[in-house]
Amino acid sequence: MADYSFNGGIVIKNPYPVSKVEIIQAPLPKKIVLPLQQLGGQAKPCVSVGDYVFTGQVVASTKGSFDVPIHASISGVVLSIDKQVIAHKSGLKSQCITIESDGKDKWLVNKNSGVDFLHYSKQALVEIIQKSGVIGLGGAGFPTHVKMSKVLDCHTLIINGTECEPGVMCDDALMQFHPRDIIRGVEILLHICGAKRAIIAIEDDKQSAYQALSMFNHNDRISINQVPTKYTSGAEKLLIKALLNVEISSGKFAVDEGVICQNIATTKAVFDAVINHKPLVSRIVTVTGDGVKPNNFEVRLGASFKHLISMASPNNKAHDYRMGGMMMGIDVASIDIPIGKTTTAIFVNNQAQKPIVQACIRCGQCSEVCPVGLLPQQLYWYAKSKSIEKALSYNLADCIECACCDYVCPSHIPLANYFSFAKALNKQQTREQDRINTARERFEFREYRLERNKLERAQMMANKKKSLKEKMANEHAQKQKITEAMQRVQQAKDKNDGTNI
Amino acid sequence: MDLFDSVLIFSVLTLILGLVLGYAGVKFKLKGNPLIDQIDAILPQTQCGQCDYPGCRPYAQAIANGEAQINQCPPGGQEGADALAELLGVETLALNAEHGELKPNHVVFVDETVCIGCTLCIQACPVDAFVGASKVMTQVIIDECTGCDLCIPVCPVDCIHVQEIEPALTTFVPNIAKVSQG
Ligand code: SF4
Ligand code: SF4
Ligand code: SF4
Ligand code: SF4
Repeated sequence: MADYSFNGGIVIKNPYPVSKVEIIQAPLPKKIVLPLQQLGGQAKPCVSVGDYVFTGQVVASTKGSFDVPIHASISGVVLSIDKQVIAHKSGLKSQCITIESDGKDKWLVNKNSGVDFLHYSKQALVEIIQKSGVIGLGGAGFPTHVKMSKVLDCHTLIINGTECEPGVMCDDALMQFHPRDIIRGVEILLHICGAKRAIIAIEDDKQSAYQALSMFNHNDRISINQVPTKYTSGAEKLLIKALLNVEISSGKFAVDEGVICQNIATTKAVFDAVINHKPLVSRIVTVTGDGVKPNNFEVRLGASFKHLISMASPNNKAHDYRMGGMMMGIDVASIDIPIGKTTTAIFVNNQAQKPIVQACIRCGQCSEVCPVGLLPQQLYWYAKSKSIEKALSYNLADCIECACCDYVCPSHIPLANYFSFAKALNKQQTREQDRINTARERFEFREYRLERNKLERAQMMANKKKSLKEKMANEHAQKQKITEAMQRVQQAKDKNDGTNI
Repeated sequence: MDLFDSVLIFSVLTLILGLVLGYAGVKFKLKGNPLIDQIDAILPQTQCGQCDYPGCRPYAQAIANGEAQINQCPPGGQEGADALAELLGVETLALNAEHGELKPNHVVFVDETVCIGCTLCIQACPVDAFVGASKVMTQVIIDECTGCDLCIPVCPVDCIHVQEIEPALTTFVPNIAKVSQG
């Protein structure tokens, strides 16, 4: 087997192992909360408070072609459209639609299901994917249809089945229990992007998943590759480098090199959208940590964290909550927040004292593990002192915030947090600077406009004066001519008179 | 003959353009004073006139000429005064409260139902952030409003209101004190 390894990164054993991976159906939530904020902007609700909605009905949509519509994930009555706390590191409230379940889960009736996807045009398929609300389910949430329609000349489709984080096992479960759907989903994606081949990447410790997929894969354009189980092997650029030996340079995207990456759960969602005509209304979430019995649950989108955690038999100690993963996830204070399309995992840990942050001892361990080959120690100094330009010159933008550096740092410095902060600050400064520049330009333009108006008015006045003068001069000349003519007539008369006499 | 003609035409054209460019160069040099530019780059460009000058650039000019103090710009805050002091190599001064105080980040909007379309606000705005027509209605282009508030007092029907810029998910920046604790 080829060696698909990369430099840096760390091997982390699953701290909360389970004997058998399962998917448990979570009961219908009593209430769901659907945030309207998406990557491209905020969706506009198309239902009102008090309306009855069916499962799968579109409740909000955006005009642009970037974002996807938002579907009700249960049937029931719209309870409110207002600001709610959502799963975001800011802890800010954001506009949401809240729906109260009627417990019946009545679906919007779907016609024409079960048509062979090969009969559809690529455009039609991309549209179905968008209309079904499919976005990247791995964490970043980039809309799938945008990725699929953007690439012009795609040669390889990579399906990312590496679990991004230690402890998360929702993709593993999906591969074990829905291998047929996944392979079909990959075939649909292949049909759309026209790539010659697809590679499904799986970590080499997930043998059951590998075998399940292999059993259902009869397509010789699809190969299944095992990659070493090492943290951050799932990062897009690193995976492409490991599998294809293609380097995506800073600021570029995979599509620029003719490669499309899709998460494994996304392919299942594509299958559901195209073959079953079912919009994305649920996902598989791992609930893990030492405060619960770890497992995977299939749950409706918009259900609260609390709803799901209660399923995982939590102990009755005080807990710390984290979503996403132990490395790249974010701590959340409340568990009354809704599960979204990118909520891969919820960590419930018994409350523990955080290690005390100490000064950097310049040990250099952080640079050894950085999978992107950055110098976290340098970046840390610049981020801390808010010297953003310096940090950028040390390639801050390439940091994938994987927190490998945090993990090994003997001083427990939250390095990745600093880098995420520095990036946000950089964005804010750029925004501010743009604003300031516009204001300066517009002020200067106004000055110029006022000046120009003044000049124009002066010019107009001068012109008027001149034409008046000319007119007067003209008139004067005219008068002159008339008098002269009169005089001539007079003279002629006088002469005539003289000769007549 | 034809060839000679075109050569002549182009030589004349080049000469004229050269003269124009030369003139522009001279004019530009006269206008672009590097010190004023540097000061202007620090000023917040709100163009509110609270510094007693009709805009940020005039204030920059006054500072460069030694006619104004560095602590007269409320929107720039103490940070702004400090930055000016550093640029000019002088002791920093506490912000002069006589010129007003730092207000939260905001823009203004026009209450369409009340606006009578008098266009007085259009004339007052230093950055042409208004669109509208006489006797109909005016509107503020939010992205261009600097929040200078100059239009508020001129409105005869008081229909221009302040709208604070609220923190949003897309513009969120973590607090560094929190970051350092992990
Ligand atoms: S690992 Fe921590 S202590 Fe060591 S150099 Fe990096 S930041 Fe400093
Ligand atoms: S968080 Fe950034 S700097 Fe740290 S190891 Fe990961 S990529 Fe490197
Ligand atoms: S007070 Fe207003 S006009 Fe004067 S420099 Fe500051 S922002 Fe500009
Ligand atoms: S709209 Fe009003 S507050 Fe905004 S920049 Fe113009 S005058 Fe100032």
